[in-house]
Amino acid sequence: MLRPTLNEVISGMQRTIMDALLPELTSPYAQGQAMSAIVMLGHAAAVLESAPAYDAAEIKDLRATFAALKRLGDKHISKKSGLRSALARAIRAGAKNPPDRRAMEAAMAAFVSAVALGDADDGVARHVRGYIRRNVERSRNLFGSSLPSA
Amino acid sequence: MDQHRLTEYFKRRMPHAREHRVVGLKRISGGSSRETYAFDLEWSEGGQTRTRAMIGRRDPTGGLLKTDREREFKVIAAVHRAGLKVPEPLFLELDAGVMDRPFFIMDRAPGRTGMGAFPAAEAESTRAKVADDFLSELARLQSLDYREYGLEILGPPKTPEDPARIQTAHWSEVYERDRMGEHHPILSAAFAWLKANPVVTDRVVIVHGDYRSGNYLYDDNGIIAMLDWEMAHLGDPMEDLGWASMTFWGRDELAGGLMEREAFYRLYEQKTGHRVDRERLFFYRVLGDAKMIAICLTGIRDFVEGRTSDSMMPFLELLIPQLLEDLANQLRLV
Repeated sequence: MLRPTLNEVISGMQRTIMDALLPELTSPYAQGQAMSAIVMLGHAAAVLESAPAYDAAEIKDLRATFAALKRLGDKHISKKSGLRSALARAIRAGAKNPPDRRAMEAAMAAFVSAVALGDADDGVARHVRGYIRRNVERSRNLFGSSLPSA
Repeated sequence: MDQHRLTEYFKRRMPHAREHRVVGLKRISGGSSRETYAFDLEWSEGGQTRTRAMIGRRDPTGGLLKTDREREFKVIAAVHRAGLKVPEPLFLELDAGVMDRPFFIMDRAPGRTGMGAFPAAEAESTRAKVADDFLSELARLQSLDYREYGLEILGPPKTPEDPARIQTAHWSEVYERDRMGEHHPILSAAFAWLKANPVVTDRVVIVHGDYRSGNYLYDDNGIIAMLDWEMAHLGDPMEDLGWASMTFWGRDELAGGLMEREAFYRLYEQKTGHRVDRERLFFYRVLGDAKMIAICLTGIRDFVEGRTSDSMMPFLELLIPQLLEDLANQLRLV
């Protein structure tokens, strides 16, 4: 493994800001900027570690959800709504190597919108809500819930 | 902003005074949509030395919002004239040559502020006074006739349907502009819902646009000044009420960290004499979450593309999951 690792570099940069830069800063605004840079670097290090697993889980879930929607069959997904073509695009995007996550999320946006508007069949809505529930849970685990306010 | 240029500026703007001196100029946090500076201006006039605490708000190179400082200045001037609790606006400078970018100067009000929900550590009596003032000021704002204060410049809606449609279209465009190719299915669904379910206002009022805890200065006697008027426009009174009572700005089910949500709405009704329209309130709470995400995306994009070096901007990413979860709950997507 090449050293320093990315995480070790980030930790080092945090110490540089804290020990070398911060004591030299006199303006409270600059001190605040330096402190938030330290905190943000810490967050970046944590995300660097957990992001690959988050991404993999997200893609796996999107693929599984679209596969489940496909299994429901055409009678549950009206042609008029545009959801059939969105589903076809999502399945193709998921089969790419690497998978086209943006295209899958764009297709999911169409399904979630249909659920929000009450235009989705119950079976479709169940699968879409299941995905959203899991997606929200994954984001909560990745980003945490006790965050500074804007 | 630099001290020398600022001093020279005051010499030009206050020719009747002498010995102008800018003291203690420092950039401060807060008011993230513009660079904010605090300083004291000293000058002599009529044989007397005077001092006034001031704030300078300069256009940013990038950041959360793209707003017009002339509009903001005129709104603050209007509501100040109407007697609302706002800092007195003093000078507006649109010539970018004076200080690199346009700016305005206003009075620096005393008091303390929080970042979001009203701080839990404050005394109960202070919380109660701030909560009462918060809704009193909102009621006073919503009772003003914008025409009487020259605020037709904000663009009166042409129909009762316009406020919801215009705000939805604006924030949806911001989302499309600043999402950097990413898709947020819950947010896309929220905008689809907002476009499909526009509400109709019963009257047109001045909307602050960011009326919430964190945007006022207060002390133990209540609110001293409402801040950050850059998103002010004309629209539906439920918009500010919905924004102020969003889960995101609250704490422990307290709207804005100030008061239990239903009591908050009842007090609003007492103060304004208007009932809270639940359908419109719901619409504007959904719009509020969607708008806040769009604002975050603007800040993130400006940081990513180098228009701002504010190290607070990447934190905005951390706020989005909570807002998306709030939207998902409101729209029954989970």
